[in-house]
Amino acid sequence: MDTATTTCSAVDLAALLSSSSNSTSSLAAATFLCSQISNISNKLSDTTFAVDNTYLLFSAYLVFAMQLGFAMLCAGSVRAKNTMNIMLTNVLDAAAGAISYYLFGFAFAFGTPSNGFIGRHHSFFALSSYPERSGSDFSFFLYQWAFAIAAAGITSGSIAERTQFVAYLIYSTFLTGFVYPTVSHWFWSSDGWASASRSDNNLLFGSGAIDFAGSGVVHMVGGIAGLWGALVEGPRIGRFDRSGRSVALRGHSASLVVLGTFLLWFGWYGFNPGSFLTILKGYDKSRPYYGQWSAVGRTAVTTTLSGCTAALTTLFSKRLLAGHWNVIDVCNGLLGGFAAITSGCAVVEPWAAIVCGFVASWVLIGFNLLAKKLKYDDPLEAAQLHGGCGAWGLIFTGLFASKQYVNEVYSGDRPYGLLMGGGGKLLAAQIVQIIVIVGWVTVTMGPLFYGLHKMNLLRISAEDEMAGMDMTRHGGFAYAYNDEDDVSTKPWGHMAGRVEPTSRSSTPTPTLTV
Amino acid sequence: MSCSATDLAVLLGPNATEAATYICGQLGDVNNKFIDAAFAIDNTYLLFSAYLVFSMQLGFAMLCAGSVRAKNTMNIMLTNVLDAAAGGLFYYLFGYAFAFGSPSNGFIGKHYFGLKDIPTASADYSNFLYQWAFAIAAAGITSGSIAERTQFVAYLIYSSFLTGFVYPVVSHWFWSVDGWASPFRTDGDLLFRTGAIDFAGSGVVHMVGGIAGLWGAFIEGPRLGRFDNGGRAIALRGHSASLVVLGTFLLWFGWYGFNPGSFNKILVTYETGTYNGQWSAVGRTAVTTTLAGCTAALTTLFGKRLLSGHWNVTDVCNGLLGGFAAITGGCSVVEPWAAIICGFVAALVLLGCNKLAEKLKYDDPLEAAQLHGGCGAWGLIFTALFAQEKYLNQIYGNRPGRPHGLFMGGGGKLLGAQLIQIIVITGWVSATMGTLFFILKKMKLLRISSEDEMAGMDMTRHGGFAYMYFDDDESHKAIQLRRVEPRSPSPSGANTTPTPV
Repeated sequence: MDTATTTCSAVDLAALLSSSSNSTSSLAAATFLCSQISNISNKLSDTTFAVDNTYLLFSAYLVFAMQLGFAMLCAGSVRAKNTMNIMLTNVLDAAAGAISYYLFGFAFAFGTPSNGFIGRHHSFFALSSYPERSGSDFSFFLYQWAFAIAAAGITSGSIAERTQFVAYLIYSTFLTGFVYPTVSHWFWSSDGWASASRSDNNLLFGSGAIDFAGSGVVHMVGGIAGLWGALVEGPRIGRFDRSGRSVALRGHSASLVVLGTFLLWFGWYGFNPGSFLTILKGYDKSRPYYGQWSAVGRTAVTTTLSGCTAALTTLFSKRLLAGHWNVIDVCNGLLGGFAAITSGCAVVEPWAAIVCGFVASWVLIGFNLLAKKLKYDDPLEAAQLHGGCGAWGLIFTGLFASKQYVNEVYSGDRPYGLLMGGGGKLLAAQIVQIIVIVGWVTVTMGPLFYGLHKMNLLRISAEDEMAGMDMTRHGGFAYAYNDEDDVSTKPWGHMAGRVEPTSRSSTPTPTLTV
Repeated sequence: MSCSATDLAVLLGPNATEAATYICGQLGDVNNKFIDAAFAIDNTYLLFSAYLVFSMQLGFAMLCAGSVRAKNTMNIMLTNVLDAAAGGLFYYLFGYAFAFGSPSNGFIGKHYFGLKDIPTASADYSNFLYQWAFAIAAAGITSGSIAERTQFVAYLIYSSFLTGFVYPVVSHWFWSVDGWASPFRTDGDLLFRTGAIDFAGSGVVHMVGGIAGLWGAFIEGPRLGRFDNGGRAIALRGHSASLVVLGTFLLWFGWYGFNPGSFNKILVTYETGTYNGQWSAVGRTAVTTTLAGCTAALTTLFGKRLLSGHWNVTDVCNGLLGGFAAITGGCSVVEPWAAIICGFVAALVLLGCNKLAEKLKYDDPLEAAQLHGGCGAWGLIFTALFAQEKYLNQIYGNRPGRPHGLFMGGGGKLLGAQLIQIIVITGWVSATMGTLFFILKKMKLLRISSEDEMAGMDMTRHGGFAYMYFDDDESHKAIQLRRVEPRSPSPSGANTTPTPV
């Protein structure tokens, strides 16, 4: 936090004042004036803390609202018989994530001083002596927690409708408590080996990777983890028929999908602009109206333009490809545009954000076609959207980052976008980021999912999958629109069977009609 | 920081009066700008916190809707809309005055009716709006206990009475500068030298709402079919888990206004020129809130898995909310690790209160009395055990040697004050709302007829079924439009229950 500290030297000031009076009273006058100025300086410091914390806290609340948005998006995108399951995973991502991130995730991510790989200062574990001497405050912890649970939430979309709940708990804790914090350490902490805000000037390629709000750190991590989960456990029953043709397993509520998408959009205004962490900072003395608050606003604008362009592009391309205007596809396209701009939102011009969104839409469509060809099933298109559009976002930043903005956000005179004349170093750093994220997440989450699979803890049985997980594991169907649907009023409740994760025994035959 | 031009002139020498006046004028301007900035920042902070608390009304509406049967959805959602609307009017007219009118006596406030004389040096419109959002939250809680079987007229009456009188009086006792049990008392005569510590309302809001709901539900009795002839409990499941989760998350989101916002101001210095100011305490409060809710959710998840054999999302949601209700009392004065304990115990308290309710054949569709009443009371006790002296001094005025958490070496006085709070809230709300519900029952204005209850209130009183997923549902139109008086038997004939498609 850059608070203006004006130091006032009473001796120097006294010398200036002593022209017509004796030196003692000059010194007294000077002391008085200096103490007044020092008071002002303290007030300014307090004010800045209050403003910046208010800004960061409310941004954190917005990012938290994305958890709700993703829960609704997931719920609407799966079949009704699995609704309670997917929503419970979203609630638990947040809850389990709070505990694991508090205990050690935050320390792994931002514990300082530390090495380039992982954070490790004792005062950060369980916030033991935080925030003293840390340079940040509780608002920063809460903000980073909200990001951490977003990454875990993404992965749950890829493995929806066929994963045992125990597997969710395990992967989620591991991802939020270790895999994700390590990645965020590399790219966001002041010690990270690839961080653009490294304090020791030993920047990767003289640039550091620029991933402002996490196209890579959050979206790629969540998406690649989801990719491995979905690959290891295989497609949902019925998703690809015997001849290999893909069958759409449509979600049960478009209203929930749109509700979720809009809430994610709403929350993105905390996710992207909030990543500045502070708002009260002037950039240019000659233009007092231009400061970090302007950059914050510009970031909200680039975010908006990218998502909107992606949505429109998806609308028209799907009209051409599929023959109708599809709100679900448009929602996914919109989110792909946001995932892509997340990396460079702070350092590109608004017109460039339009390019970002346009390409993101095609990237998503392309990855979806590829997934279909490879018989890869992802109920939320999470790997394609967050992984694919996230990677495009990093490349986009390497191409379009503007010189002025890069140097304002990350101090120094450093490489910027290739297409803006800034050379290839930034792009190289971005590509390195893509490669290491894919590699790291693959070697951590891949074996985890594989191990769970080998221990029969990953996928549910075929009978459970046909009946729906809500019925067999979560106490019953999510919806009961008519009294007759409420099976609990019947003496021989279907739902009361205790079903162990590994049992392949017969599951109750559902008698409900929707 | 005051600048005396005369003093400065002397120091500057014989011809320096003008210089001194000029300098002091400049410093005075800077000072005023800082004062303005502080008001702007604090009002922004409080207003946006108020909007967050208001979104809890939306969250509670969705939670209620999802937790009741489909045939009563419109009814329960209308009560939530009306809580906010009627509350707005009555809290403006006299509720806020009873709560915070100052100067006044220890029992009830007597200034600011209709917001007369507002704004003052200590309270602006933002404060009124924030407190209004709290008031309607309390009334909303009660509506959950009496859902699915209460006449709409009864809702209007209890809600206005609760928001306009019962709740404001309680908030006066514990939150105003005159209240007899308030830790903000300026006349030095604090209850047990401390006053009761209920930072954002585990008692003032959650217990008040919960105890009122308890009496309503107790007096009108369980829903038809909730306990069968053999006395066994039958779960009357809500119609939409999606709405329950939506509502729970929105309540969580809004709680970030409810708890941290209760500081009212964010620009307050604790240690000049350092990070250690009220903004840090605000952040810490958001963290304790989060940890308590999350721990309660996880505890409930595993507890229910052991008890009932499956992972139940609606139970986890209720557990989560119980954790929030509990931490609300002490969120600002405890360490983050203590919040984990708070949440863990809150989950167990909720499970226990639910078991007790089942044993006593007490039916509460939203578990409101158990959650808000039970976990709210635990929250007050928790505060008495874990409150940190340094945080109490920062928030409630520096009083060396003040009573604080029993487990933190602070003695038992705070616990005494908290127990007093639990007792007087239970007593006051029972005496007022218990009597009101009893009178409504005697006047046959409380519960609906059993035919209306079987048919569902949406059909009989609210214009029709809430959902129409297929065009054939239009056939229900014939039944929707009949005018049903509160005391008349429901429309006779075979069509009282709509035939689902």
